[in-house]
Amino acid sequence: MNRKWKSIGFAAFAAALSLSASFAEAAGVLTIGRREDSTTFDPIKSAQNVDNWVFSNVFDVLIRVDKTGTKLEPGLAESWTISGDGLTYTFKIRDAKFSDGSPITAEDAAFSLLRIRDNKGSLWSDSYKIVETAEATDPKTLTVKLKTPSAPFLSTLALPNVSVLSKKAVEAGEDAFAELPTASSGAFIVKEWRRGDRVILEKNPNFWQADRVKLDGVEWISVPDDNTRMLNVQAGQLDTAIFVPFSRVEELKKDANLTVLTDTSTREDHLLINHEHGALAKKEVRQALDMALDKKAIVDTVTFGIGTVANSYIPKGSLYHYDANYQYPYDPAKAKAMLADAGASNLSLNYVVNAGNEVDEQIAVLLQQQLAKAGVIVNLQKVDPSQSWNMLIDGSYDISVMYWTNDILDPDQKTTFVLGHDTNMNYMTRYKNDKVKDLVAAARLELDPKKREALYVEIQKLAKDDVHWIDLYYSPYINVARKNVENFYQNPLGRFFLEDTVKN
Amino acid sequence: MHRYRFVFLRPLQFLPVIFGISIITFILVRLIPGDPARVLLGTRATPTAIANIRAQFGLDEPIWLQYLYFLRNLANGEMGKSILYKIDVLKLIATRIEPTLALVVCSVLLSIAIAVPMASIAARNAGRGPDHAVRIISTFGIGFPPFWLGLMLIILFSVKLDLLPVSGYGATFGDKLSHLILPSLTIALSLSTVLTRSLRAAMIEGLKSDVATAARARGMPERIVFWRHVLPNSLVPTINLLAVNTGWLIGGTVVVESVFALPGMGQLLVRAIFSRDYMVVQGVAMVFACATVLVNFLADIATVAADPRVKL
Repeated sequence: MNRKWKSIGFAAFAAALSLSASFAEAAGVLTIGRREDSTTFDPIKSAQNVDNWVFSNVFDVLIRVDKTGTKLEPGLAESWTISGDGLTYTFKIRDAKFSDGSPITAEDAAFSLLRIRDNKGSLWSDSYKIVETAEATDPKTLTVKLKTPSAPFLSTLALPNVSVLSKKAVEAGEDAFAELPTASSGAFIVKEWRRGDRVILEKNPNFWQADRVKLDGVEWISVPDDNTRMLNVQAGQLDTAIFVPFSRVEELKKDANLTVLTDTSTREDHLLINHEHGALAKKEVRQALDMALDKKAIVDTVTFGIGTVANSYIPKGSLYHYDANYQYPYDPAKAKAMLADAGASNLSLNYVVNAGNEVDEQIAVLLQQQLAKAGVIVNLQKVDPSQSWNMLIDGSYDISVMYWTNDILDPDQKTTFVLGHDTNMNYMTRYKNDKVKDLVAAARLELDPKKREALYVEIQKLAKDDVHWIDLYYSPYINVARKNVENFYQNPLGRFFLEDTVKN
Repeated sequence: MHRYRFVFLRPLQFLPVIFGISIITFILVRLIPGDPARVLLGTRATPTAIANIRAQFGLDEPIWLQYLYFLRNLANGEMGKSILYKIDVLKLIATRIEPTLALVVCSVLLSIAIAVPMASIAARNAGRGPDHAVRIISTFGIGFPPFWLGLMLIILFSVKLDLLPVSGYGATFGDKLSHLILPSLTIALSLSTVLTRSLRAAMIEGLKSDVATAARARGMPERIVFWRHVLPNSLVPTINLLAVNTGWLIGGTVVVESVFALPGMGQLLVRAIFSRDYMVVQGVAMVFACATVLVNFLADIATVAADPRVKL
């Protein structure tokens, strides 16, 4: 190689080294690594957590959920009153501005509420069908009339999907708004969206709580590979990363530069049982199955001890969770005897497993071993996650592990889905108990919190006794942050309180 | 100039090829079990909500009718709307082409930069120590899976040495280049081994050729013989080898883009497949297929231009 080439090679290498300095992020801008990029900025057109968690940085809601995830607090609605019959809600809209400087009015609020109900592209219209009318009775007063009284209605207003949008900005072009919203009501504005790569947010100086926001901006960066995402934080190229796999927690905790954060979530993993299939229709058989499972062993293995054993479909820490709910003891011998008594000694079950999901596949193997001790044969059928759902709907399964996370703090949403005897056949279990069905409907209408709580305790007891499904475990959100980041916090419903986060 | 007649005739064959690809991708993507509506709605996917989504995107129509709609869209230069992102597929793809294209180009250049010196050393020392050393290195290069190799490179260059970004893509030219070094190297380390072997064989042949012998007879130093006569001639089969490997290369970018979080078409395709975003899968598959056809066409032109003996 002659000298000319040598010097060119050296120059190129030096250039590469100097380039590498440019990836350091500006101070005051928090970088968050997540698995996937956003899909849209039109809040009514997504039901994905990746989107909702950004919506709540950019748009504010009428009523917010507090940090504990159990109480409502005023958002853009300063205060509200409910009529005696529970049908008319009157909200007083706060003096606040959109990021473009225009005032946030009751008309914008009415527009946003009716839009999520009526828009063809809305994925949430079912949740707001209960709204009869919503109108701005004056620029600062929103009056909403419901078709029937509903205890959970207020908490549905805290969903990021029903955020208050600027009527003017949306009507100027829905598709353009979904690409880059021109007006924000929340703590940050969307400055740029590099599709597939990152969403760049900037502090919104017109936010009504702008004093509270310490960050200059936020970047939500998509890093799909779990290993790469963790390496980014370890190398200091990202401030934080979310979706830390259970298996990585111990190792990351040893790194002196990092804090591993486990924030309570509402996630519950449970074992669905198809009540229409043979012996599974008998309550005693389902109880025996519950007793045959060593839930503690499952949690310790698959979540590395991070999760906790579940005892109710309403997760621990959520509103009306009944902590003293019954827990079937682990007793494979008794389970075997109960199965024999019920005439189901040679039970053989078809278990639909979500292929490719490490945790689900581990659970499947453990369940198979544990149930074998009670004489139950389990056939594992691994299918793609988007296919397994159709099999649940069609009823072509005996057991299957699925999960749920709450969107709203009120237990009604999950209760209706799981025990409401609705079109989805109680989360596809085909569970039937008319008493439970009536209690679910009554709890939705009961406006007195004390009486409501009693109803939900009753529902949790009955569901447990019937073994509508087998509660497996609750698990937290696991995030990791560099030591210089403070108050990086996610409430149980998933909302990141980035307005309080500090980067030193 | 009749040697170049194929340049005008070949594109006529593209139409049926692309038509065939459109049918195959259309049917294959719908044969995968699963449902985009379920992915869109998450655990709240009730049967009625799923039915609504299916109707909205025309997925409840018979499959042949859906295909006709797809063809009609194609004729209008459209590829339908993404179910997940709710925007036009072509528009979506346009935002993701650059990183993939840059990755492919950088990988190929880097592969050549690695393969040429390796093959030269091997060919000029055929059967001796350096030749064996190159062969052993090549075997390792083929043996390492790209996702593992990528992670090892990140740990070495980004975490331990702190020289290069871990992942992602930049905004400025220089920034992008520094983000492309490791992913390109990951692909180049395996692609270059294939090239090295083919180049080495062609070079050994070239060293024994009449041209080389004649040059030596004229008193030309061995170094000049190699650089002027052997190397250029051995590159011709390499061009074709590269073209044939386009499909493999695209497959490689899919994995590497995910490991390095490059916002390219490979990542788009992976997420589209998992969410059963049919329109996007079709669109990306079509673009990849057309790219492969086009690259092979260009390689043919290059071969004809480089070697006067070749007729197509």
